[in-house]
Amino acid sequence: MSAKPKIVYQPRASWLHGLHPLVKLCWLAGLSISLFVIRGPLWVLTVLLVAVAFFPLAALSLRRDVRGIRFLATMGVLLFSLQAVFNHTGSPILDANLGPVNLLVTDGGVAAGIYVGGRFLSLVLMSYLFVLSTDPSSLAYALMRIGLPYRYGFVLITALRMAPIFEIEGNTVYQAQLTRGVKYDVRTPRKFVTLARQLILPLLVSALRKVDELAVSMEGRCFGKYSTRTYRRTPGYTGSDILALVLLGAGIIVVVWSVLSPH
Amino acid sequence: MICIRGLSFKFQDSAAYALKDVHLEIEPGDFVVITGPSGCGKSTLALALGGYLFRQYAGEASGEVKVGGLSTRQAEIFDVAEIVGLVQQNPEAQLCTLTVADEVAFGLENRRLPKSTIQERSEWALEIVGALHLFDRALATLSGGEKQKIAIAAMMAAKPQVLIFDEPTSNLDPTATGEIFKVIQHIREKAGITVIVIEHKLGYLRPFQPRVVRMEQGRIVSDGRDLPRYSPSESVPAPSKRSTPMSNNGRAVRTEHLTVEYGDSPVLNDLSIDLHTGEFVAVMGDNGSGKTTLLRCLMGLLKPRAGEVVVLGHDTGKTPVSSLARDIGFIFQNPDHQLFAETVWEEAVFAPRNLGLLNEGTSQRVGSLLRRCGLQRYRDTHPHRLSYGEKRRLNLASILSYEPRLILLDEILIGQDSENATMVMDLLREQTLRGSTVVNVTHDPETTFRYSDRVVFLKDGRILLDVATGEALDRLATLGLVDYLPHGRSEELLSR
Repeated sequence: MSAKPKIVYQPRASWLHGLHPLVKLCWLAGLSISLFVIRGPLWVLTVLLVAVAFFPLAALSLRRDVRGIRFLATMGVLLFSLQAVFNHTGSPILDANLGPVNLLVTDGGVAAGIYVGGRFLSLVLMSYLFVLSTDPSSLAYALMRIGLPYRYGFVLITALRMAPIFEIEGNTVYQAQLTRGVKYDVRTPRKFVTLARQLILPLLVSALRKVDELAVSMEGRCFGKYSTRTYRRTPGYTGSDILALVLLGAGIIVVVWSVLSPH
Repeated sequence: MICIRGLSFKFQDSAAYALKDVHLEIEPGDFVVITGPSGCGKSTLALALGGYLFRQYAGEASGEVKVGGLSTRQAEIFDVAEIVGLVQQNPEAQLCTLTVADEVAFGLENRRLPKSTIQERSEWALEIVGALHLFDRALATLSGGEKQKIAIAAMMAAKPQVLIFDEPTSNLDPTATGEIFKVIQHIREKAGITVIVIEHKLGYLRPFQPRVVRMEQGRIVSDGRDLPRYSPSESVPAPSKRSTPMSNNGRAVRTEHLTVEYGDSPVLNDLSIDLHTGEFVAVMGDNGSGKTTLLRCLMGLLKPRAGEVVVLGHDTGKTPVSSLARDIGFIFQNPDHQLFAETVWEEAVFAPRNLGLLNEGTSQRVGSLLRRCGLQRYRDTHPHRLSYGEKRRLNLASILSYEPRLILLDEILIGQDSENATMVMDLLREQTLRGSTVVNVTHDPETTFRYSDRVVFLKDGRILLDVATGEALDRLATLGLVDYLPHGRSEELLSR
């Protein structure tokens, strides 16, 4: 048996992995907004190609590390094709008579296809790049250092800590039911409710027990004693971070100038 | 250091007192072991010492608990936490960050200590538990024993005056258990703090000559220096002699070149083994050696990457679990994951009902099983209200109710005191005499050598040892696996 790839941080020694989480977050936000602010399919294609190119640069593999890549690619192509075939705005670039069907493709339809399909794929792949290359606890600590109340920051961190445990427990409860002769043949709403209750109850009890134990562990270490706390981690920004931020700032200035400029 | 006077506590909605008129005094630097049957109030007493019992749990309390002169009933949790550290049973549930360094620093950061102090104290705490080399590791990559060491270091970093360990080794294999007890002893020597250990595994504690407090039904019933002698851990009779070798019986289980992988890591590696009808087999080995994976393969819950598993004539790789369920009973490690019904009785008849086997005979059998497991009085109680040990016994009753031909057990004895452990093993022994095969994954050397016909020891997914129990003691000693020998026998065997 082999485990399916999960959408979780993949530690690698790449330039992208080494960037400060907040710098990457700013880039993700900036590029995502630019996809909708900057007009022109060329920009969407550029962002998409850059996102794809960054996978090998970040020592990541589209095939291995991106869950459901075939589905995503198919969705992107489908979204493009629907616009290209059915959106007939602009000038024709292809007008083919295929028997009973007349295939008319216009430059406006192709542009719309690139907007829809390209934006979809760009956003998904950039988000993947961010998640796969960013240690979530580093992100949480970085957010706490810039003002996120630490209680909320630790909600994220403990959730990240507990999520895999609950996933395993859910699977164990399901398997335990199978071994006790439970049959997952849902024929009536009543049966569905019974099965759901039998699945959820053990998980709920286990979760509540863990919450109790975690509360003892955290309060026993003075979590919540003060409104602020100190940190072991130093929020270090490297030269690469500065360079990335300068480039992003310059890009934003150019975009804002081009959008506001009357010409 | 600790002064408890007339402490009683009753949880809301509970008829019985969890603690009843407890009096206890502990001097600074004492090493105290609190022991007693499961559900006797040991963990509740630990929660009272840390002050959590009075803040996080609804109930009636009376009496006084003072630690370092501070009343834990009155004081803020955070003030008590400066004096008392509590290490709990399950390392998974008490670690709240993702890396070792963050976890050990967590309490110090919350106390707003400067970064230099955090670094210095973190390294000191990790060093004292022998885990400084793990400083940069992610918690998810650690073994159970390593996680428990980090949980201890995280408490030690705050330099408490009292450290309480609530069954710190119940989820650990004998090797890791031995290491944790060495760590506890090291902490006593180096930090000179008061140590309280709540524990069933008394054999490990004998060398430390602790003060032993025994509890029963919420009360302290004895307090002295003598570790109880009646425990099965103290006497190891010769393994049972059968009139006919098991290999003459029919074959119940056959695995051939069984290989199972999680991701790219092999968990079972080319494992071939035959188990016979009526055999009582103990499967031992360190955490992560493949014991639970083997059980899951026998039940058909995991499909092998290579090889074959044939159980009672069925190829489990090709047979649905629902078809195997009639003939195989499987008890998972955590009792909470396998309690589905509203009452103890309904839970005990849950599987027979699903399998279409519920009739008058089964009901009588269930009644008898509940009586033997000490659960008859809880017949109409919700299963999740039982203690840990009681839940495990209910798990057992619920699979024995339909008399499966193959019984797979994953650490059935966790949380059982010696009397209940003996009762559980007697029940299983009777099943083998009726023709069922028992495969018992266990970390308990004492019961293994009293009840099993055969010992299979796994290491890194392979069989390191597969011998009749009579030979196992010598072979384990020869292999240097002293933590797997019954206490009191290891020195004798090693000196041969």
